Amino acid sequence: MTRPAYKSGLRLFTLALILTFLRPAPLLVTPGPPQTVVTQHPILGTHTRLTDEVEEWKIKRSLELVREMGAPWIVEFFPWAYYAAEDGSYAWGHPDMVVAHAAAQGLQVVARLGLTPEWARPPDTPLTYLDESAYDDFAAYAAAFADRYRGRVSAVIVGNEPNLSYEWGYRPTSPADYVALLKEVYTAVKAANPDMQVLAGALAPTLEPEGSPWGLNDLAYLQGMYDAGAAGYFDGLAVHAYGLTFPPEAEPGPDILNFRRVELVRQVMVDNSDADKDIYITETGWNDHPRWTLAVRPAQRIQYTLDALQYAETHWPFVKMVAIWAFRFPAPQKSYMDYYTLVTPEFVKKPIYEALQEYAQEK
Amino acid sequence: MRRCKNMLRKNRKTGRLKIADWRVSSLLFLLLLTGLAACNGRESAWPRIQQEGVLRVGLDPTYPPFEVDTGGELSGLDVDLAQAMGADLGLDVAFSYFGYDGLYDALATEQVDVLLSALVIDPARREDFAYSEPYFNAGQILIVRQGETAVTSMTDLANRTLAVELGAQSHVEALEWSRKLAGLTVQPYTTPEEALTAVLQGEADAALVDGINGRLFLRDNPGLTYTANPVTVEPYALVVRIEDSELLDHLNDSLARLQSSGELDAIIAKWLGE
Repeated sequence: MTRPAYKSGLRLFTLALILTFLRPAPLLVTPGPPQTVVTQHPILGTHTRLTDEVEEWKIKRSLELVREMGAPWIVEFFPWAYYAAEDGSYAWGHPDMVVAHAAAQGLQVVARLGLTPEWARPPDTPLTYLDESAYDDFAAYAAAFADRYRGRVSAVIVGNEPNLSYEWGYRPTSPADYVALLKEVYTAVKAANPDMQVLAGALAPTLEPEGSPWGLNDLAYLQGMYDAGAAGYFDGLAVHAYGLTFPPEAEPGPDILNFRRVELVRQVMVDNSDADKDIYITETGWNDHPRWTLAVRPAQRIQYTLDALQYAETHWPFVKMVAIWAFRFPAPQKSYMDYYTLVTPEFVKKPIYEALQEYAQEK
Repeated sequence: MRRCKNMLRKNRKTGRLKIADWRVSSLLFLLLLTGLAACNGRESAWPRIQQEGVLRVGLDPTYPPFEVDTGGELSGLDVDLAQAMGADLGLDVAFSYFGYDGLYDALATEQVDVLLSALVIDPARREDFAYSEPYFNAGQILIVRQGETAVTSMTDLANRTLAVELGAQSHVEALEWSRKLAGLTVQPYTTPEEALTAVLQGEADAALVDGINGRLFLRDNPGLTYTANPVTVEPYALVVRIEDSELLDHLNDSLARLQSSGELDAIIAKWLGE
């Protein structure tokens, strides 16, 4: 004998109704009263990864931990593709939340902008593909961002590692094309908010020669930017400075990738009469994955990181900020990337976090 | 794949199924699942492996003592295990090298049939890949002096000193325990060897280290032993593509035979000590 279908449906509906009422109310999370970062080392920063963090309490907790560590700076990614619609409207909900919580914790925000929405690029191109037909759209997004977060975001970075073909839509890298983008973005951002710092880069450390399908040597790329007239269109340069297996004080050289490669980048700026601009190290760090060939032991990682901060503070007056990659991921990456972090996805502080916290309070 | 989507669409379109008739809907659901599984567009690798008589194994040869290439000579625990399984299954083994982060891509793109490279079971990858039964646990182990009877597990460490490698996963784990155990002192050392030496010399009551470093130290330094139960579990397993269930069955059967014959333990003991 078959039970009438409507009865089963009614039962299911009733059950769903009961469950709806039984479900606890969503957690109310507010930014809370304004906090101040207490630190002896204002150069210290960290690159958070809150872009894909959905739960507000986790965003708040991450930023609380950054403040408690004694880092006054965060670098955070605000992808154009996530927030911008083709009709010119923006979904600011998530970036509003991140910026509000960062401001409440007393943190200065450096915003990395990038990733092209599907509507702004040709079919079958990757998210990192951005050509000149959409430069004005990206500039409009950057300007809207700069206007909206006036006084709460200190700087915007135009793109990410444009000297790698992977980050340039799997095309040959082109300093001249990047400078054309930079000009549009700089002009639009300054028109919207003259106080917003516009950072070029961030250049990826790489030794790839001219014509390589993978990218272009960062020093050559930077010179190419100056040759294309970049100097008037950025306020500071964002740089990635990974130590890999070398200690931070290891001598730099044109054929070596190490922490002090920053000095070679700086020299290119000096050679192009651009010495007045600051460098922002928006990613740095050592990795302690047990298997990655470019990793070091966990104790070395801690020591190298602390020594790198001290080195930058002592020797590099032109460096405004040193941001450790990466503070925490919303979920395990299950790769060597997990071994760059300071805090686990479950908010367990790693010993390197404690070491940095101690360092931040020491004179 | 398009055919599979059409199947789904048709099933949705009929709309005549009575929700209450669970038997019919369950049967249809099972049929749908079977259809989807058959429509993944890939054939099982096992018939080809049998026909060619070669099992293609992918690994990253930079992780001694599991796999390392020294001057063109490949050796290690995983290498021996692959050879033993090949012999058990009547197959030759052909090794291919990949970077650690490229291993799963190499498997997905059918460059190899199986990965055997000290890979930890990752539940997040189970949609595309299947894991064998574990053949080794690389999780944290608790090491004490031989003859020690008072410390047999982490809970015995109240008011005692635990040596760890500074910054390592064992350090994080130990700090978590120190929040639960009164009087547990966590003493970090720069390397796992220094932490273990501290136990040997009586500076610490126990050391918490990963199963590989711990066993390697024990192999070369008598006077220490590890407690019966590992503190954490980090299981190493072989990996195949999700559609290769037939291959996986054969690999699991082979592992079981090597386990029961004692050959697996002998391979592990050869590289990591008893």
